[in-house]
Amino acid sequence: MNLNTQFVFESKLKRNLIIGMVIGAVCLAWSAVGDDAFYTRFWTNYLHNAVFFTGIAFTAMFFLSGQITAFAGWMVVIKRLWEAMSQFMLVGIVLLLVVVIGVWGHLHHLYHWNTPGITDPSSSVYDEIIAGKAGFLNPVFFTIGTVGFLAIWYFWAYKLRQNSLAQDEHETPSFDYYKRERKWAASFLPLGGFLSTVFLWQLIMSIDTHWYSTMFAWYSTISLFLGGLALFIALILYLQSKGYLEYVTREHLHDLGKYLFGISIFWTYLWFDQFMLIWYGNIGEETIYFKERMDNYPVLFWGNLVLNFVVPFFVLMRNDTKRKAGTLFFAALLVFFGHWLDFFYMIKPGARIAAIEAMEHSEGGHHGSLKSDIKDLSQAPDVSKMPRVLAGVSAAAAEQSHQGNEQQPTEKIPVTGQGAQDTDHQEPAHGGAQADTHGEHAHHAGDHDGHDGHHEETGRGFQLGYTLPGFQEIGVLIGFLSLFLFFFFRQLERAPLLPLRDPFLEESLHHTTGVYIDGEEGGHDHH
Amino acid sequence: MSAESKKVLYGLYNDEEELKSAVKTARQGHLDIMDVYTPFPVHGLDPILGLSESRLHILGFVYGATGALFGFLFMSWALAKDWPILFGGKPYWPVPSFIPITFEMTVLFAAWGMTITFYTICGMWPGVKAKILDNRISDDKFCIAFDVTEVEQRVVSSFKEFFQRTGAAEVHEKTI
Repeated sequence: MNLNTQFVFESKLKRNLIIGMVIGAVCLAWSAVGDDAFYTRFWTNYLHNAVFFTGIAFTAMFFLSGQITAFAGWMVVIKRLWEAMSQFMLVGIVLLLVVVIGVWGHLHHLYHWNTPGITDPSSSVYDEIIAGKAGFLNPVFFTIGTVGFLAIWYFWAYKLRQNSLAQDEHETPSFDYYKRERKWAASFLPLGGFLSTVFLWQLIMSIDTHWYSTMFAWYSTISLFLGGLALFIALILYLQSKGYLEYVTREHLHDLGKYLFGISIFWTYLWFDQFMLIWYGNIGEETIYFKERMDNYPVLFWGNLVLNFVVPFFVLMRNDTKRKAGTLFFAALLVFFGHWLDFFYMIKPGARIAAIEAMEHSEGGHHGSLKSDIKDLSQAPDVSKMPRVLAGVSAAAAEQSHQGNEQQPTEKIPVTGQGAQDTDHQEPAHGGAQADTHGEHAHHAGDHDGHDGHHEETGRGFQLGYTLPGFQEIGVLIGFLSLFLFFFFRQLERAPLLPLRDPFLEESLHHTTGVYIDGEEGGHDHH
Repeated sequence: MSAESKKVLYGLYNDEEELKSAVKTARQGHLDIMDVYTPFPVHGLDPILGLSESRLHILGFVYGATGALFGFLFMSWALAKDWPILFGGKPYWPVPSFIPITFEMTVLFAAWGMTITFYTICGMWPGVKAKILDNRISDDKFCIAFDVTEVEQRVVSSFKEFFQRTGAAEVHEKTI
């Protein structure tokens, strides 16, 4: 077995990846064609993929640091791949800088908190809840919390990488480089762990500005982690098919498969935790998040669970599926796409609502904002028609309507539906309005056709690019993936594939899980 | 496993690599090994011994699925059908509330089921008397044992010759 291997970035692969990037750029531009006034589809596509691939680079660094800190020896044969992936954070800084510039220049309306005048009590768009969060959700903090933190992480990733490369060149019996590597790795863990929560709150959770979840940072980081792990496994299998990494045995793949399996279950645990806490607490401002997604994005909502839990759980449960390149590759690709879709699900519905409401603000002025609130009300579901399981979530939706109305308790509300023309309600108080309108809704129970019309008008029904990924979204995914891989292969090319002077090299080469499967050839006899 | 006592001829090796090569030799010579004892799991011994993959995990899945179904259906029956209770303003059949307990029942059934199955297969239950060949096989010796209860003297000497040839440190006979 030749251990002194060097990856060669062939021109054919280079060309294919450049074609992929061009497809991505074209699709990104295409998604701006026929877009709304804020170019929401364009910006969400950009943000979605920029965050996803930057996050993958971050989790590669985090995972590698965790392994090094835990004295893990098994992964030395694939260490260089993680190092190469983590370097993508440099590109991530540039990618997210565009989002940051967009925030400062108001080029997009991804973040409701970034609306001018939103914290000014005299403004017509003043929002008390957002004003209360302005200490955290403001452009300065956003800049620090995204590109600033990313720059810190990249510095660590760069140092770890440089140290690893220097180790290749110098023979040191005193383990100098190894000790230094451990220092960089161990100090990255708290940095990555604590800062990543802020990073994801700023970039993704703040899209649904009114909403918050204590589980969100966990949940989205693990999602990134799984996306990265799946891509990592797929890349190993790809490189093996090209004749590289022949020393990576099915024992290493088995362990990576176990990570993919186990952490998929952990992801489900966090997904369910977030849902369960909100469902059980039944506070309107929290439940609206799931209410919106279960009603208007059912394919995304349930598909997310199927792709990211059911598939890896049942495909990777058996020992032998984790040890066969075919099944592992299949599961890895599905999980990678599944977590890309998970981020799609986190970003798109929230950004769409923010854009719709902002447009109604600008079109109808003050009255418009109320109109949108009324539409929320008209969409309040008929609890009796829901599956009983979901009734807890839906009951809260009626309560949700209070936001905004609170500010103008004397405003008239034209009720939509059958009695829209002749019924004008004076809103007495917040609680009363709730009961009142809900009663109204129940009263016109037979009037559902009229409500459906409103669905279309508000633009919350099916729309390609939001409800499901359209051609443009897939194209942008291909583009960003190509960019990621291009950078990854460039980094891989610059160093030997195997860190020959790593103290754990021999352990890694002889790694075994101790599992024996009938009919497998070769077994564990490396000797 | 059987209640009757057995006459066992066993050899002790100092090293797991010696043991592995000895097992290979025995398998090539079609010697019928009763069992092999090691102080720790020796990776790669199973295929050399010709053991097939354990099927315990298949049972584990069955037990787990049983636990999940049992937990979920029992809670649904008790709380939604037999004695409907409204709590926390939730529906009568609050599925999300059931999921943690369903999960726990899955784990409980799988763990207990597999443990009990494993102990039963290995002939271990409360009060059973341990049949120990040599105390040192849980310390630093690696042992190959042959059942010589009803075996011709010719075969016994072939076992002894085998131990000598493969470098066993000690050879003993014991009735357990």
